[in-house]
Amino acid sequence: MIKKVIYVLLAMILIASCKSGGDKADSLDLDDSDIVRGELEVSGEVMQDIIQSVSSPVEMAALVKGLGVEFSNKYLAPTDDVDELTTSFQKAYHLGIYGADLGYLNMYNKTANVIDYISAIKTLADGIRVGQFFDFTTLKRLAQSSQNLDSLMYLSVHSFNQMDQYLRDNNRSNLSALMVIGVWVEGQYLATQVAKEAPHPDLAERIGEQKIILEKLILIVKNFAKNKQFENLLTELNKIYELYKDIEITIIPGEPEPREENGMLIFVQNEESVVKITDEQLNTIIKTTEEVRNKLINM
Amino acid sequence: MKKLIFLLSSILFVALYSHIQAQDISQVVAQCAAAADAVYLKDYVVNLDASTPGGAPNQARFALMLSKNTKYRFSICPAPNSEGEPILQLYDMNVMVGSTFIEATGKDFHMFDFNCQKSAIYHIFISFKEGKAGEAVGVLSFVKRL
Repeated sequence: MIKKVIYVLLAMILIASCKSGGDKADSLDLDDSDIVRGELEVSGEVMQDIIQSVSSPVEMAALVKGLGVEFSNKYLAPTDDVDELTTSFQKAYHLGIYGADLGYLNMYNKTANVIDYISAIKTLADGIRVGQFFDFTTLKRLAQSSQNLDSLMYLSVHSFNQMDQYLRDNNRSNLSALMVIGVWVEGQYLATQVAKEAPHPDLAERIGEQKIILEKLILIVKNFAKNKQFENLLTELNKIYELYKDIEITIIPGEPEPREENGMLIFVQNEESVVKITDEQLNTIIKTTEEVRNKLINM
Repeated sequence: MKKLIFLLSSILFVALYSHIQAQDISQVVAQCAAAADAVYLKDYVVNLDASTPGGAPNQARFALMLSKNTKYRFSICPAPNSEGEPILQLYDMNVMVGSTFIEATGKDFHMFDFNCQKSAIYHIFISFKEGKAGEAVGVLSFVKRL
């Protein structure tokens, strides 16, 4: 009798552990030898701060849509060769790329194209053992039904955030860093391509202010630059960063002002940042971003 | 043998409890994001112990990049069994530029909008009133371009 009870309990524990962790892919012995952790020049806490602070994949797309720019497929990275991405480095970096593209597609409600991107993301996420956070079935259903688009957007971005958080919590910040760098590069590519075809002062300012986050991302990549692939990534990002060195961001001081409107609390910021970027600087950044993005996508 | 059964039962309980808790907090994130009625960007899950008597209240800190000419919404939602009432505060360097709790009036809000005019890295602090223990979710959403 007691033996039976033990067997039942063991079986239940086995089932519970499969369900609760959702980490079945983590038990696979995946070779991460192409990624080294490196001797950190910045502390783990600082690194967490930087990775965490990178804007969401949908934010640049939201700006572009807010400017009234039409959707275009040509800004998207192709998903055809996803099976040829074999290293953890490539998989994590492309997760970021496709995450940003998915944000762009969702922002414009282009559900027909979404399936290709969620399929690619699922393949890559499984490849670096974070697929348990990407609910492919629900996302596919939401995309196919073309209803509940808010849910599709929420679930896409939330899954992405969970993957990133899981990697950071499990001492795999190198992969998390690659994901957010992928998001940043693709967001920068979208902004610069749109700026080339439909120039707008807000877009130019947004591109100029990327100096703030790019210098932080460079710090992270330097941490892992003993690895050849990270070293190459650093070289490419530095090509863009060099162009930002002369871009000035000044601050006009002011005090925040709270107010209540129709029961909603609003804080109006009166301190203002001003980006000084010339047309020449912008054009060089547009050109170099395109070159770097296209090179990195094939790396 | 009874000890073994007790041990296995305990492991089972912990495993199931963790699973249920993870589901619970995911639901809170989803509900909090939906209540914000704006484009979800990020969430910040916190689970803090009670502060030591007389000590500074425990708080969680998160860094985030915000962009000029953008209206963001910050929401805070307690987990169903949270003992403490959560407060979310937004800081630019050492200056508080937003909060769900207005100390001068003692008024609480579940969310606030922030009309950002300065592109920079900000910090969110989440704590619980009176230094109580608690679990909560903060959500950052995009409302519109200003």
